[in-house]
Amino acid sequence: MAAGSTTAEAQQAGAARAKGPLVWLNMDQKELDDAYDQAVYAPNSEQIAKRRTVNSAAVRERLKPKRVAYGPTPVEMLDIYTTRQPNAPVMVFIHGGAWRAGSAKDNAESAELFVNAGAHFVVLDFINVMEAGGSLFPMVEQVRRAVAWVYKNASSFGGDPNRIYISGRSSGSHLGGVVLITDWQKDFGLPADLVKGALLSSGMYDLKPVRLSKRGAYVKFTDEMEAALSTQRHLDRINCPVILAHGTYETPEFQRQTRDFAAALKDAGKQVTLLVGVGYNHFEIPETMANPYGLLGRAVLGLMNLRAV
Amino acid sequence: MTSNELPSLLDRRRMLAGAAALIAGAGAAAAQQPAPPAKGPRVWLDLDQKELDDAYDQSKYAPNIEQILGRYATSSDITRARLGAPQRVAYGPTPVEMLDIFRAHAANAPVMVFVHGGAWRTGSAKNYAFPAENFVHAGAHYVALDFTNVIESGGDLMPMIEQVRRAIAWVAKNAASFGGDPNRIYVSGHSSGGHLGGCALITDWQKDFGLPRDVIKGAVLACGMYDLKPVRLSARSNYVKFTDAVEDALSTQRHLDRLVTPLTVLHGTLDTPEFRRQTRDFAAAVKAAGKPIEFIIGNGYNHFEMMETLASPFGPFGRAALDRMKLAPA
Repeated sequence: MAAGSTTAEAQQAGAARAKGPLVWLNMDQKELDDAYDQAVYAPNSEQIAKRRTVNSAAVRERLKPKRVAYGPTPVEMLDIYTTRQPNAPVMVFIHGGAWRAGSAKDNAESAELFVNAGAHFVVLDFINVMEAGGSLFPMVEQVRRAVAWVYKNASSFGGDPNRIYISGRSSGSHLGGVVLITDWQKDFGLPADLVKGALLSSGMYDLKPVRLSKRGAYVKFTDEMEAALSTQRHLDRINCPVILAHGTYETPEFQRQTRDFAAALKDAGKQVTLLVGVGYNHFEIPETMANPYGLLGRAVLGLMNLRAV
Repeated sequence: MTSNELPSLLDRRRMLAGAAALIAGAGAAAAQQPAPPAKGPRVWLDLDQKELDDAYDQSKYAPNIEQILGRYATSSDITRARLGAPQRVAYGPTPVEMLDIFRAHAANAPVMVFVHGGAWRTGSAKNYAFPAENFVHAGAHYVALDFTNVIESGGDLMPMIEQVRRAIAWVAKNAASFGGDPNRIYVSGHSSGGHLGGCALITDWQKDFGLPRDVIKGAVLACGMYDLKPVRLSARSNYVKFTDAVEDALSTQRHLDRLVTPLTVLHGTLDTPEFRRQTRDFAAAVKAAGKPIEFIIGNGYNHFEMMETLASPFGPFGRAALDRMKLAPA
């Protein structure tokens, strides 16, 4: 098993050298660094990234999105894949890329599923952490503003502002989690329940271990950032159904983050569903959102009350 | 994809292997990791024996083979849990001659017959249930075939093709019994099932089964083999007992005059060089013979990942199948 043997090799490598001091749970520094490095656990990451790009290009060619600015800087744009139905629900997708990479253009592969099922699909562009000098706040601020833009302008593209949903993968699910704890009334003068549901796959919901990992080399974490952007510490602000997912071939930390967040939501009495994709790694599981019969595609259509099959 | 790609890819693999040996250094390390042997005599096109063997060994090009085969099984379990157990029917006298029917709700609905792969050695209808929903919800029945394998049949491919043909004839004759339209029967296959599906298309349906020549209205074959000569020259002949008669009768590309079915063929860019060439050459030959064919390349998919895309109306294989059946995604 390819990914399995990589995991085994990583474990073997860990056994071969002396284990260092524990820095997070039962992990030493190398183990934690590896658990936040997808390439260690997903040897086909480059292949799948390229596949996402070519599949997205094919989707753009077929569906021709509208590209609209939601803010003043050049990156603050979003792509709208419109469905024919009037007053249709809207799925806003937040791409991943370890906060460093990714674009709306290369994350369109699920658009057909939504458009075909009668929903608009909106993919966000936003700044990355390198351009933002290591701070995650500008990314979060832009993503929140983009979601607010969708609410305020939904009718301009045939969307129903009362049926806005969000989804994300990887670092986009981290940002999506933070969207769910936004104070929409105070910060935007919008309804507190603006987001009607979320599907977050392979994300991070507490930043402490991420801060301790080598990701701390390019994300300039502060105590304030860690606290404000750890969704799991603000469960009281979550007011919509949440579907969480991870694959069984993901890193130990990405599996644990989702598992622990799901448990915390459940303990807090929130509506949460945990999906485990058997046999999928970090880059493979998002592809199932492009298939109405795939793990995430089926779940997201159910979340939006679209075509129960 | 150019005709130069194959040699350059193989050159690169040799260079990488050579570099690894250099890094390993002299003495014991070099003994553990010897330099690759010089290229041997060419046995097929510009491939020597090892290169040809590798080109018919999926594990050399798809390192995640076991992971993906595991997904076929778990995804098929999920499909059965959602659709219910299929109707399982015998199409012949031996225990293996069974087929699984996942029924569409629509009356007189078209039928997709799927022929699984597995290097002719393995595979079962059970683990290929996972594409069913794509067809059932689009308004077609999905029928997955079980049939003997080449190991059980003593190395002979003929019993497999004989059973596959008989299964398709059973579907044509009994379609009405499960709400199927006998005039809208389609065939799909993957890998060695793509090979068997190709052979189904060159069947003399009138003479051998008393069925219309065009009983199969369309076919979608992914990652298959359409001329058996290079396969016979490869390590696969260790378990397939090829004869001149088998090679000739079951090389679909040599019988294009009998082809009356519009078809679509596909491969992934990460398929082995020979699996890409087989599909490319077959598509060119069918086109040159003036028959209708569509050729689709799945960019970024390996041999086993291509198969998974039959389950999605928006994946390359699944989209091609619905297109061929003139069905829209559910």
